[in-house]
Amino acid sequence: MCKKGIYLVCDYPTKDSFFEAVRVCDDFNMDFLEIGFPFSDPVADGSIIESAAFDVLKKENVNNFIESTKEVKKLFRNKLYIMTYANIVFGCGMEKFAAAVGFVDGLIIADLPYIESRRLKNVLNKYGINLIHFVTPESSCADIDKIKKSSNDFIYFVSTRGITGGAFSLDDETRKKVIYTKQNSKNDVIVGFGIQNKDDIKEACRYADGVVIGTQAVKNLKSGDFYSFVRDLV
Amino acid sequence: MKRYFGEYGGQFVPETLMRALSELEEAFLNFKKNMDAKKELEYYQKNYAGRQTPLYYAKNLSSRIGCRVYLKREDLLHTGAHKLNNTLGQILLAKFMGKKRIIAETGAGQHGVATATAAALLGMECVVYMGKKDMERQSPNVERMKLLGAEVVSVEKGSMTLKSAINETLRDWVKNVQTTHYLLGSAVGPHPFPVIVKYFQEVIGKEARKQILKAESRLPDSVVACVGGGSNAIGIFSGFVKDSVDMIGVEAGGESLELGKHSATLTMGRPGILHGALSYLLQDEYGQVADVHSISAGLDYPGVGPEHSYLKDIGRVRYDACFDNEALEAFRLLSRLEGIIPALESSHAVGYVIKHSELFKDKLVLINLSGRGDKDLGIIASLEEKNV
Ligand SMILES: Cc1ncc(COP(=O)(O)O)c(C=O)c1O
Repeated sequence: MCKKGIYLVCDYPTKDSFFEAVRVCDDFNMDFLEIGFPFSDPVADGSIIESAAFDVLKKENVNNFIESTKEVKKLFRNKLYIMTYANIVFGCGMEKFAAAVGFVDGLIIADLPYIESRRLKNVLNKYGINLIHFVTPESSCADIDKIKKSSNDFIYFVSTRGITGGAFSLDDETRKKVIYTKQNSKNDVIVGFGIQNKDDIKEACRYADGVVIGTQAVKNLKSGDFYSFVRDLV
Repeated sequence: MKRYFGEYGGQFVPETLMRALSELEEAFLNFKKNMDAKKELEYYQKNYAGRQTPLYYAKNLSSRIGCRVYLKREDLLHTGAHKLNNTLGQILLAKFMGKKRIIAETGAGQHGVATATAAALLGMECVVYMGKKDMERQSPNVERMKLLGAEVVSVEKGSMTLKSAINETLRDWVKNVQTTHYLLGSAVGPHPFPVIVKYFQEVIGKEARKQILKAESRLPDSVVACVGGGSNAIGIFSGFVKDSVDMIGVEAGGESLELGKHSATLTMGRPGILHGALSYLLQDEYGQVADVHSISAGLDYPGVGPEHSYLKDIGRVRYDACFDNEALEAFRLLSRLEGIIPALESSHAVGYVIKHSELFKDKLVLINLSGRGDKDLGIIASLEEKNV
């Protein structure tokens, strides 16, 4: 099994081409989509996703993102997640945000580590939304055990120390951590950060259950090559 | 250790940084207990940095505005601002942890200079991130950092000010977390930074309390400090927080209190999450961090340290704003009356007292003069061209 997910910046580069990209992902039966809700200070992102976010923020706010994600839900049959930063959820009000996005499978918050997750998790539970936790090359076995235990959706394995948009590689230590995370895990382990092509996917899926592709998808969507990019992944 | 001040603070960072933060906390706790480390810090504070700094009775300013004003002269500290208290402390902590590479953000350039200085002293590699706009308006400090051997990286994204510089430093840290210490310059960021920065700035309040008791045989009625991220303010406030002394934090009112034209976070903001902590934040109704403005690069920041948010909510410290033009007036007045050219940041604290002199009538007021204004002469010259 090797699940494939695509990350798209909401409404980027335009609403139309964003929805078109969602259709392409559905046509090629991608296993899940992550819709990025832009934030003014995306410290976990490299310059490609950051500048896409800044572009969208010139004309839109979170209400537009929620509306567009409702459309996505109609166009895409598999799992749907929102990826964003803590203040988008907090600044809207956690309850209000959760109530508005109850139709998605889960939330991924780039600056919400496990240790700070309890409050939001309690709110999300009420609306049937899962909170995705991260494992990273810096995580200890004890950390990983806790995260495995409290996850009820996939575990996001961050492939490298770094931000989005780098190159893909799993060093020996990290590979061992992926294997450890997957051992007896009731949930999928999905590798993200730096995945660019079929070779990277193959490499990641030797150890994990799947991958998510972000920066490369955003870049190809912007340049007009999204269809062939996704086609070549499968 | 507690990660929160009331409901404020926490560790809102990518998971990848969590190990580094807990190692930092543990190292800090050991550092505090280590007598050799303590002695080494005291040695540098005294013989290298020039502590203790004087407490000066500003006679001419006092008679002009009708109250008794003392200035805590952090402007006389080596490198010209209180920032060195924190960088000397943290660089020794970094050495204690075996880190060899130091990264830092800077706004006014004072923290960058203080970091570059401490790194030169201990022979460590140093990279400073600075917004492009700040590199232009605080160019003397850019030259100083380079002379001190630091690499200065121009940040040309987002606001191109302190906020973008912190974003970029965090990104560097996530990549290089195994070898690098992030020497954060204000009482902001994820736990344990606000606690660490306060610990190293407390020396201001400790000294000032003793000095004013010696000079006046009493405590001051009010203690006033400017607040950017809040490090100089938390440092001096810590000396008086248990006393019945009125404390005022002065933020940058910029051009006006309309969103986008000021940096008065506690005065005008609401709680939000930026740079690792839950604290007051200037943001729009949708949770996007707002554009901010201040004539002073060191105050031009939409966030504030979490302990200040707590002190505001419990009513222990009052926070208010001083506008650009009021700070400029204070800058000029203090220069003329006392022969002291203050940093534009510190001028906000002075400006607030001048503007509200009736509130302080016949009172004993202690102002933290957090830095000197040499770095700001370019800004003043360009305003003079425009006749401001
Ligand atoms: C002289 C001086 N005072 C004050 C500040 C504001 O920082 P903080 O609020 O952390 O003291 C700065 C920041 O650059 C500064 O250079």
